[in-house]
Amino acid sequence: MPSLRLSSLALLAPPVLLLGVFFVMPLCYLLFVSFMTNSMGDLYETVPTLANYTEIVSDPFYHLIIERTLLSTAVILIACFLIGYPVALYASRLEARGRLLLLMALMVPLMVSNVVRAYGWVAILGRQGVVSGTLNTVGLVDRPMSFLYDFQAVTLGLLTILLPFMVITLTNSLMTIDERYREAAEALGAGPWRTFLRVTLPMSSPGIASGLMLVTFLTLSAYVTVALLGGPRYKLLVSFVFDSVSSFRWPRAAALSFVLLILALVVAAVIQIIVRPGRVKGRG
Amino acid sequence: MTFGGVLLRAIVVIAMGLILGPIVIVLVLSFSSGNSLSFPPPGLSLQWFVEFFHAGQMRDAFLLSIGLAFAAACGSTLVGLLTALYTTRRRGILGSVLQTLAMAPLVFPALILGLALLLLYRTINMPVLPGLFVAHVVVCLPYAFRAVLTSLQSFDTRYEEAAHSLGAGPVRAFMRVTLPIIWPGVLSGWLFAFVVSFGELNTALFLTGPGVTTLPIEIFSYLQFQGNQLVVAAASALQVGVILLLLLAAERVIGARRIVSR
Repeated sequence: MPSLRLSSLALLAPPVLLLGVFFVMPLCYLLFVSFMTNSMGDLYETVPTLANYTEIVSDPFYHLIIERTLLSTAVILIACFLIGYPVALYASRLEARGRLLLLMALMVPLMVSNVVRAYGWVAILGRQGVVSGTLNTVGLVDRPMSFLYDFQAVTLGLLTILLPFMVITLTNSLMTIDERYREAAEALGAGPWRTFLRVTLPMSSPGIASGLMLVTFLTLSAYVTVALLGGPRYKLLVSFVFDSVSSFRWPRAAALSFVLLILALVVAAVIQIIVRPGRVKGRG
Repeated sequence: MTFGGVLLRAIVVIAMGLILGPIVIVLVLSFSSGNSLSFPPPGLSLQWFVEFFHAGQMRDAFLLSIGLAFAAACGSTLVGLLTALYTTRRRGILGSVLQTLAMAPLVFPALILGLALLLLYRTINMPVLPGLFVAHVVVCLPYAFRAVLTSLQSFDTRYEEAAHSLGAGPVRAFMRVTLPIIWPGVLSGWLFAFVVSFGELNTALFLTGPGVTTLPIEIFSYLQFQGNQLVVAAASALQVGVILLLLLAAERVIGARRIVSR
């Protein structure tokens, strides 16, 4: 039927155009630019080079930054799992109404802009902030203190901003586990801990993996949170993508972007190896 | 079980405190009558909201954000609807590639997408506002697409076939039969897209220009370059306020269950 073909083309054209021209193409262009030479006046000079990558890989400064980025990502992932899992477990065992309320309370912060949530931490941890003010009033310290611009501030901020993603993903995953598996384990004499470790935890591994991977990607690219809570003193790899753009070194910024992407893929692969979501089959 | 239960509850309370605490503090501070971040505030007033609407740049950014979110939500819902219609009706390689691509902006680092788009825009001389609009449509697309897809998957295509056999053309059958049935999904997709665009930060970071700034970017640059932070609290409170209003509206129209279940 010709009309069907026409309508199928009409359905296909807008998304393909939008995603092709404004998603796939710019990323290919970015990859191309990352192999070009930095230029003073133009975006780049059309002289192919590997220098942008070799400079990053051979620079001890970037080694330090990558190490720091990986360390904070690892801490955030572990904390997200250790805090997020109990909350999701609690949510999945609530009756429907309570669970709905809890999930709504987790959704609202996700919708609030990250800059507002990071600002909340600035207001709490900053020099004129809540913690410093309270310590002053109580008399524990005699001058304003800042708790910003270090590893703890950035990690705490990112953790709390990303935790709802983890909890919601895990709750949805836990809800799909058939109650009867747990009942069977208990009927066979397993205690609550054993049932949890041998049945619930392994069966929720797809949720754990996808939650952790989501958190990884968002952690690695959370520029604004890192900028506000880390300031000029504590920067992660993503900060240098932004800094390179600010100093108009486009090819360097492009190369750093792809280093960041590769880092994200490596972390995602490690998550897959550790969590092994593939062992759960036939769920759905 | 009792010890485990207590521990579980304690972790839930701490986690929710850490997640909600910063937002609550910003909300309270925005009503402060003082001019420092001291908490609790010395008294309550609306002075920072008044100052917000007197600060031209902030107000303009707020209005631009609302307009942009409205337009981007319409754009991404339309494209998301077309994508969902294609992927539910024509399975096959093209359909699944398209589905993966439409969901990709959800996890793809938005900052890198922003940089890539900026390079493209510089090369083709794209004006700032249309460029920002397109970027927001791409970023919001996964949310709109997923919401529409969910409702299309539970839609019984026999209704549409019945309309066809009664003589309706494909467009008429869609408008008169399919669309009214999947409407809640379309609407929740639109609302999600609006909210995401309204708070979008990492792509817009590179794509805003002089005179064309969104509220989150304005808040961010204010925090980085200027002093008086309580105007920022008022701006943040307005950001949260708009979202709460939308969620309330969504709850009325489509029900809370649909908002959460994804």
